Amino acid sequence: MREILKMIVVLSAICGLSGFCLSYLKQMTAPAIENQVLTYVQGPAIKQVLTDTDNDPIADRKKFTNPITGKQINVFPALKGGKLVAIALEEFGGGFGGDIGVIVGFNVDSDTLTGIGVTTMKETPGLGTRTAEPSFTKQFKKLPMHVDLKSRGGQIDAISGATISSNGVVIAVQNAAKVYEAIKSEATKTWN
Amino acid sequence: MASMWKEFSKGLWAEIPPFRLMLGLCPTLAVTKSANNGLGMGLAVIFVLALSNAVISLIRNIIPKKVRIACYIAIAASLVVAVELLMQAYTYPLYQQLGIFVPLIVVNCIILGRAEAFAGKNPVHLSIADGLGMGIGFTMSLTFLGALREVLGYGTLFGHGLFGPDFHPVHFMVEAPGAFVSLGLILAGMNLLSIRKALRRGENPADNPMPGCESCRGCAMGRD
Repeated sequence: MREILKMIVVLSAICGLSGFCLSYLKQMTAPAIENQVLTYVQGPAIKQVLTDTDNDPIADRKKFTNPITGKQINVFPALKGGKLVAIALEEFGGGFGGDIGVIVGFNVDSDTLTGIGVTTMKETPGLGTRTAEPSFTKQFKKLPMHVDLKSRGGQIDAISGATISSNGVVIAVQNAAKVYEAIKSEATKTWN
Repeated sequence: MASMWKEFSKGLWAEIPPFRLMLGLCPTLAVTKSANNGLGMGLAVIFVLALSNAVISLIRNIIPKKVRIACYIAIAASLVVAVELLMQAYTYPLYQQLGIFVPLIVVNCIILGRAEAFAGKNPVHLSIADGLGMGIGFTMSLTFLGALREVLGYGTLFGHGLFGPDFHPVHFMVEAPGAFVSLGLILAGMNLLSIRKALRRGENPADNPMPGCESCRGCAMGRD
């Protein structure tokens, strides 16, 4: 009986102590990890869509509440001479293998798209993944806010054989446009 | 001091983990596509191994015999999660490269093997020396294997180009079979060296095909 008690006490103590230390460490590293993920996962896409800028959009990011879902999202500003010229934000659209994450940049003066960049996707290699390539994403540059596939009367050529993935990207851009319209005034107030 | 050096140095050649003890082969084969990856993986293992040896040796007298393996694994797992968090926070590209093999350090046989064969029975300073020595030996092996495969497979070393544009890389070396072939050749080379040494000393190498084996306590695992 004594032996069993000792086993239980020692093992629980070790596990409890480890759990305590790890939760402390997790809290300590959380901001650094968020920074790294933003730099290495979303960073390249943000650089693609916010080209004309003299600040660091990732360092200057702010959290906004998405009025549609009520969730907190990161919004990345592009400033030029201290004036806000464009903002970028990430939205998602259902693709063939789960949600596709897309960073969409918006020019705040003309309300047009500055470009899009795909961050995360689990699409079919060689087919769906081609929606992340420049040949597809460059179509979005300088378009007005309401984009759609050509098959639905829009401006975007879908990639043949990857209609669902192309549609996922377009849905993500449409979602992002909705968020942009909702937060635009708040964003311009924040950074100007 | 002398005994500490003895425990430390045995991990560097006589009992060098992947090549002599044949422990920890999964990361050895899987992540050594480049010297950088091997070095990063090795550093993570040094950290986990030295600390887990230290902690286990500190509390070796209060760990009940029957649940010792569970205790060792709990300690090793916590340290691995700590490494994973630190890697994500400060060396994210390396973390992306090593991927699933960072969390898999928990089940790396070296960690449990050293805990069971050494740290559970020896005082703290010797255990730390043992952990550091084994970890550095593991790092050297992985970096060497990674460098070999990177030079032949990509024509680079630590990411720097070595040869001119005329060099045709042997892609085979950075694929999975290349790992097995290079590991086999390295093992054969090490055995050849050991046999030569034994012959020079006038011993019959067939009596002891793997010198260093007698000093390894790996086979004593589980024997109490």
